Amino acid sequence: MTALLVNGQRVEARAGDSLLIAMLRAGLHPTGGGCLCLGGDCPNCLVTVDGVAYTRSCQVKAEAGMTVTRDHAGGEPALLSDQATWAESAAPVRHIHCDTVVIGQGESGREAAREAREAGFDVVTLDARDGQHVTGVYPGPLVVAADGGGRVLHVHPRREIVVATGAAEIQPVVSGSDLEGLVTARAAAELVAASIDLGRAVAVGEPPGELPSGSLAGHFPLGHGGWELVRFEGAGRVEAVVLRTRGDGEAAEERIECDTAVLGLGRNPRNALARMASDLPVRVVGGAATEPELPPCPGEGTVCPCSGVTVADLDGVWERGFHEMELLKRATLAGTGTCQGGVCLPYLRSFLLERGGRLQPAFTARPLNRQLTVRELAAGAHTAVTARSPLHDEHLRLGARMDRAGGWWRPWTYGRQDDEYRSVRERVSLGDVSSLGKMAISGPDAEAFLERIVPTRVATIRPGRCRYVLMLDERAHLLDDGMLCREADQDAGDRFFLTSTSGGSGFFELWMRDWAEAFGCDVRILNQTASLAAFNVTGPQAARLLARAGALELPAFGRHRRVRVAGVECRIVRLSFTGELSYELHHPAADARKLWRRLLEAGAAFGVQPHGLEALLRLRLEKGHIVIGQDTDYDSTPRRLAHEWAVSLDKGDFVGRRAIVRTNKQPLDKRLVMLRTDDPPPGSVEAPSAEGAAIHDGDRYAGYVTSDTGTAAGGGATMLGWLYLDAEGRLPREVTVDGRPARRVDGPTYDPQGERARAAVDVASESPENVREFPVTRLEATDVAAGAPAERPRLRRLEATRVSATPGALDALVADPLWPATALAFRTAPDELLVTATPDFEVAGDPHAIVERETAFSYVWLDGTTAERFLDRECEWRRPSARPALAQGEVAGIPAKLWFEAGRTLILTPAPFAAAFERRLTASLAEVDGDAE
Amino acid sequence: MNEFTERQMKLTWRAPKESYDVVIVGAGGHGLATAYYLATRHGITNVGVFERGYIGGGNSGRNTTIIRANYGIPAAVRFYQRSVDLYRGLEEETDRWLMHQQKGILWMAHSEAAVRAERMRAKLNTEFGAETEFVGPRQVEELCPQLDMSGGGRWPVLGASYHPQGATARHDRVVWALAEGAMERGAHVHQNTPVEGLILDGKRVAGVRTAAGNVAAGVVVSAVGGHVSRLAAMAGLRLPIRTHRLQAFVTNHYRQQFGPIVASSELFFYASQTARGEMLLGAEIDPQPSFSYRSSHDFVQHVCRRALCLLPFMSDLRVLRQWTGVCDMSPDYSPIMGRTGVPGFFITTGWGTWGFKAIPAGGEQIAELIATGETPELIAPFGLDRFARDRTMADRGSAGTH
Repeated sequence: MTALLVNGQRVEARAGDSLLIAMLRAGLHPTGGGCLCLGGDCPNCLVTVDGVAYTRSCQVKAEAGMTVTRDHAGGEPALLSDQATWAESAAPVRHIHCDTVVIGQGESGREAAREAREAGFDVVTLDARDGQHVTGVYPGPLVVAADGGGRVLHVHPRREIVVATGAAEIQPVVSGSDLEGLVTARAAAELVAASIDLGRAVAVGEPPGELPSGSLAGHFPLGHGGWELVRFEGAGRVEAVVLRTRGDGEAAEERIECDTAVLGLGRNPRNALARMASDLPVRVVGGAATEPELPPCPGEGTVCPCSGVTVADLDGVWERGFHEMELLKRATLAGTGTCQGGVCLPYLRSFLLERGGRLQPAFTARPLNRQLTVRELAAGAHTAVTARSPLHDEHLRLGARMDRAGGWWRPWTYGRQDDEYRSVRERVSLGDVSSLGKMAISGPDAEAFLERIVPTRVATIRPGRCRYVLMLDERAHLLDDGMLCREADQDAGDRFFLTSTSGGSGFFELWMRDWAEAFGCDVRILNQTASLAAFNVTGPQAARLLARAGALELPAFGRHRRVRVAGVECRIVRLSFTGELSYELHHPAADARKLWRRLLEAGAAFGVQPHGLEALLRLRLEKGHIVIGQDTDYDSTPRRLAHEWAVSLDKGDFVGRRAIVRTNKQPLDKRLVMLRTDDPPPGSVEAPSAEGAAIHDGDRYAGYVTSDTGTAAGGGATMLGWLYLDAEGRLPREVTVDGRPARRVDGPTYDPQGERARAAVDVASESPENVREFPVTRLEATDVAAGAPAERPRLRRLEATRVSATPGALDALVADPLWPATALAFRTAPDELLVTATPDFEVAGDPHAIVERETAFSYVWLDGTTAERFLDRECEWRRPSARPALAQGEVAGIPAKLWFEAGRTLILTPAPFAAAFERRLTASLAEVDGDAE
Repeated sequence: MNEFTERQMKLTWRAPKESYDVVIVGAGGHGLATAYYLATRHGITNVGVFERGYIGGGNSGRNTTIIRANYGIPAAVRFYQRSVDLYRGLEEETDRWLMHQQKGILWMAHSEAAVRAERMRAKLNTEFGAETEFVGPRQVEELCPQLDMSGGGRWPVLGASYHPQGATARHDRVVWALAEGAMERGAHVHQNTPVEGLILDGKRVAGVRTAAGNVAAGVVVSAVGGHVSRLAAMAGLRLPIRTHRLQAFVTNHYRQQFGPIVASSELFFYASQTARGEMLLGAEIDPQPSFSYRSSHDFVQHVCRRALCLLPFMSDLRVLRQWTGVCDMSPDYSPIMGRTGVPGFFITTGWGTWGFKAIPAGGEQIAELIATGETPELIAPFGLDRFARDRTMADRGSAGTH
């Protein structure tokens, strides 16, 4: 015996009892009335179980300690759960791949499963009686179901979905059909089998086939020559069934007294799953494949118990002109409750047939066929990954407040906003820009390709030089911007390095590859966004700081060169976003932390202070540099942005050129301008408060502000904003912003000539003598092939090489490898290879191949069984069955590459996620162990 | 009877005539609103509205019923504010219960960058008449006590832009009230009567071919959703429209009152409570263009996960039903309304994810255009020719998801 609480009352359940049967045993009807079907087809047994409302008590096993409320709309869920970190601990989904899934294990379902197995197919069966309730059948194909043990199953059938869900029994719709004591024929058989006393039971319509003889006090067949159901009588519980003879003559009513009415009113196929998947490989068998039976048009009573819709309601809306099935449903809400039309649909059809003379199809079948909770359905999903810089932990160590921007965690401020700003303007500062998109581009068509995707002239960028470039769409609207460097070293062919904004790099790579394909350009593209870290050393003392760290040969403005800084190989690019002397240091991600610390150490003498994004936004604004997305939208042409200087119309075709030529013939309507105000805004001294503020030219609305520096200690603010030309086609000079006078300026008021950014540098006097050299060392063991499966999985940094070359050249390289036999090579794309060896080889057959050191990944080996257990829980997609095989995708919401060998599996994940991945791995394996016990 | 059963509207169906002064293709919200305002504001009632299915069966019956005006560019704010104002008076005007409920909308910021974006939105909206205020965490919590202000430990609520005029109304009732209002003044609405072609007189559109025969028209208005590109092609027009799926779902109802509409651009979802007490959730459009009405599990799964970060009280609510509509997306995330360059043919399309909230203003303005022959100032910026004239109405940032 099992004890549970129903509305505070102790109820004993026998082994195997459903919750409904346990309640009926105790004389409790879950909802106080309505015909019970025990098949999950009606809403008459809904209760709240352990706080989960709308639970079908006939489909839940009674378990010790359950708390049940006979109120299906449920109490009040706790406002805030104690799940502050629950986003981390989301339940995984169980994925099952098979040939055939059979939904329903009645006779026809068992038969279908047996046939498929005999034909050699891999078959999965789902049965509601085991708690495997199917919520929906989706494109994929994908069948989503509860697994009966609190988990969610995703079944992926390769071949076929068999719907063998049987047929539902038609419920009574007459006066009194909401009384207690009404059961369907099949339900009666089940209740008798569970030795529940039905009292004096009278069968109406088709009788149950499996009742012991003598358990029925009477039987009244329906239909022609038989009887017609008129109503049920009783107070609370049924006391009598009233029937009428159905013949040609005068109808006479007959009242039959009973304690229980057993109703065999016909069947309707449970075919909702098939109807919601009509374009999928679905086969319907058995009862689910039968034609729906149409009950007589109801004259009285509740048609839709979920929404409480009566026949009178249907008549009312019919009279008002609602004649379509969908309108009838929407005007009454019939069919929109838990049973999704299980009770009402046959009656709605017979009602509409009788009134309108037209048999209308069933309303659309929609998921969820069986309703799971929000928590259950969220299983297996993760919130979007926010990328981390290799310096993430360094920023935290320095007290940074991290903020999401452009899909990355970035330091917003280190808590010293004013000093962060001043260190750039007056001394020297470091800013992490690792989130910038970074692409290496080579190939015989590299220059021609770049000429076609950027509006700037590329041919005139000499080796060792760099230039600011725009990227436009076909409408000439600005998509992105960055800097384009041509490699100084031309030995390995003509190569370029192109950056893009943080948010855009994923899109940007695809965009470039699309155009390369569209133009038929022979280029190699290697996305180094994650491989390379980057930071900006900026401020008047930047060169001196770098010299102290050993970099004496610094590039001049507009140039770049490879320089060793504190023993780390860097590409140093000299342009400026802050307006000060600036060097951008691109270097392998694995070296980022060392270099960052070293520069902070060497910079102490100059008062170095890293700056966050907040300071950077202000610094760039004082120079009038735009931020994509904040200052631009989908109509920002170079002309509107006042960036005509970045467009060369006297070169060949490029993306957006035709749109520029066409729109240049239209009068200009607005322009992004710089504004200066001398007044501090009322009530605010520091915060940028004018963003979004309207700009007025006298009384004329003339645009709005997109960026505002806020007011610095010295007073006054600089802004960017859209300014509309006046009727005469002029841009006003004096305007107001929020009522404050502001002046349009033609360029930055801070260092208008750009002398600070372009300053000549003399570091001859700097002595790098006292600089400790950091030789390049392998941070971790690199010979991964020799790595034994670990007892306690730990992720370690991988030293590797990434190659971008033509598919043919890579084929040849893989066939005849130039690296030690112990190394592994993963073909991550047709034109890309990841090799666990150092980049001391060349690719024969492709002089333009890009071979670069790759230190952005961490790895762990798991033995085959451990890996399977882990991936079963954490991997949402289908894994390859062949060995060896490479697969790439998200695992536990983190991007990963998986290398499967017989008996062991290698997992690679971007190094900044290594710690999170390790936590997830450890926790998940512990949970699996827990499950196994 | 449940309290939501329709007890007021009376729809009167009539046989199609051979000719109408105005033929409207599509009896969704925009088509019926056009008929309604033609009849009520301009006395034009010789109007036939043709619908391939049932009235309001497209996106008018599949949206998430949100009404707001906090858009990102002045012309859009003014237009949607007109719609917000018309909605507020629509129950009184039609004398019908539309379940219009002003509940306010909170647009969450979980990052400093988003705080600045929401501050900017508040300022711009207020300037153009769509009152919006940036509110701090304390006020957010007061407005919506169900929020986990820590965002599940990962998405803290740093503030929100609050647009108090944000509202919802029962989508079907809006459609029916407009249909009834047009019908009772003499307009015809024809269900199950697909328009199969346009009748051209030279370049001019002079009528429509329907399943019920040819119908001559003084002017033809396309108020089609989902397949507008096909109809426009019949008039020789190529539209800059791509159609994408948009999905939503509801939970079973629960008894607490969930006050405002809550949206998060960073978590890509929004939630509100229906009059029946269900929690209604939506998100952004599917990235791939499609005409499919098929729902996906992936959508429910990920929206549930994201929503639980902010609204953990929903954990034990059951998801009851999910559905899909198809949205006509314009390249600049703004609608396309007005003349087409083809004589006799007007268009209202590009309603993307913002169609429902624009129903009254869209219908009113198109009706005025038809009645007066002049494009009203409010919709002049939204003409189809804006793309050729380089005057696109880029409004991606605030069009958001609903």
